[in-house]
Amino acid sequence: MHELGVISSMVKTIEEIIKEEGFTEVQKLVLEVGELSGVIPHYMEVCFPAAVYKTFMENTILEMETVPGIVRCKDCGREFNATAQDFTCPECGSHNMEILSGNDVMIKEILCS
Amino acid sequence: MKAYKVLEVKQSVFAANDKEANELRLNLKEKGVFLLNLMSSPGSGKTTTLQRTIEALKDEMKIGIMEADIDSEVDAQTISDTGVKAIQLHTGGMCHLDAAMTKQGLEGLEIDEIDLAVLENVGNLVCPAEFDTGSSKNAMILSVPEGHDKPLKYPLMFSICDVVLINKIDVLPYFDFDMEKCREYVHMRNPQAKVIPICARTGEGMDEWYDWLRHEVQNWKKK
Repeated sequence: MHELGVISSMVKTIEEIIKEEGFTEVQKLVLEVGELSGVIPHYMEVCFPAAVYKTFMENTILEMETVPGIVRCKDCGREFNATAQDFTCPECGSHNMEILSGNDVMIKEILCS
Repeated sequence: MKAYKVLEVKQSVFAANDKEANELRLNLKEKGVFLLNLMSSPGSGKTTTLQRTIEALKDEMKIGIMEADIDSEVDAQTISDTGVKAIQLHTGGMCHLDAAMTKQGLEGLEIDEIDLAVLENVGNLVCPAEFDTGSSKNAMILSVPEGHDKPLKYPLMFSICDVVLINKIDVLPYFDFDMEKCREYVHMRNPQAKVIPICARTGEGMDEWYDWLRHEVQNWKKK
């Protein structure tokens, strides 16, 4: 399961962040999930409880915001909302795209104590 | 009363792994150990390609192989038969290797005596691309039966690879695989990627791959 590995990696990242700030518990976590990141919010929700089981994030509430996958066609300049499966330009049919947003999974904010 | 604070982070979820990977890479550079992360889908010929590569290069450099699979020892056994050191890493259901697991594997290989370490990643075109393993270079194998459209379907994988081997070119006459389209799609995702058509079974095209590896291993050892 892809999302399981993503969350395990994220737990490590968050552990380092809050330790640096002198906190130990995380009440709420807000993620920005890009539409082109390959991470599906639904699966994140499903495996989150298992991935954080018996970690300091066991009681953390997970919130996710979707970041639209916007790409720019390198051939005709058209900007549009692409999906991870389809990078075809609706204007000229090219597949040659530059990704402008929605490629990452970012930790937006952490409510901790 | 407890003090609460909202931290505005704006950091990738992969930050901890990326940091660990960078540390590992620096450490390998110091030791002069070149680590190749080899990725592909299941059944594209990673192990056969490795077997031939080992036969060709084992007299000129010390090679160590890490086989990552969800389970089984099949690949490590096959590689051990070539006479180089091979260890099997089990990911326990995980679909990829991260930097921490790679580091553990390298410890098992006793890397101080090795020039070229190869990590044969889990057969998968999605997750391994997201986790930096700390490798010096990334390579992937796309086999002819999989089709030339894969760079469009798995953009991230192709965008992080330094070299793309197109394997099983001996069966090209039986498939609608368009080599030029494939090159075009790979370069769309990654203009710097080197594309080398090979057949690991017959050895066709393998010399160019060996030359690339030799060159990269030597380059890595330069201070």
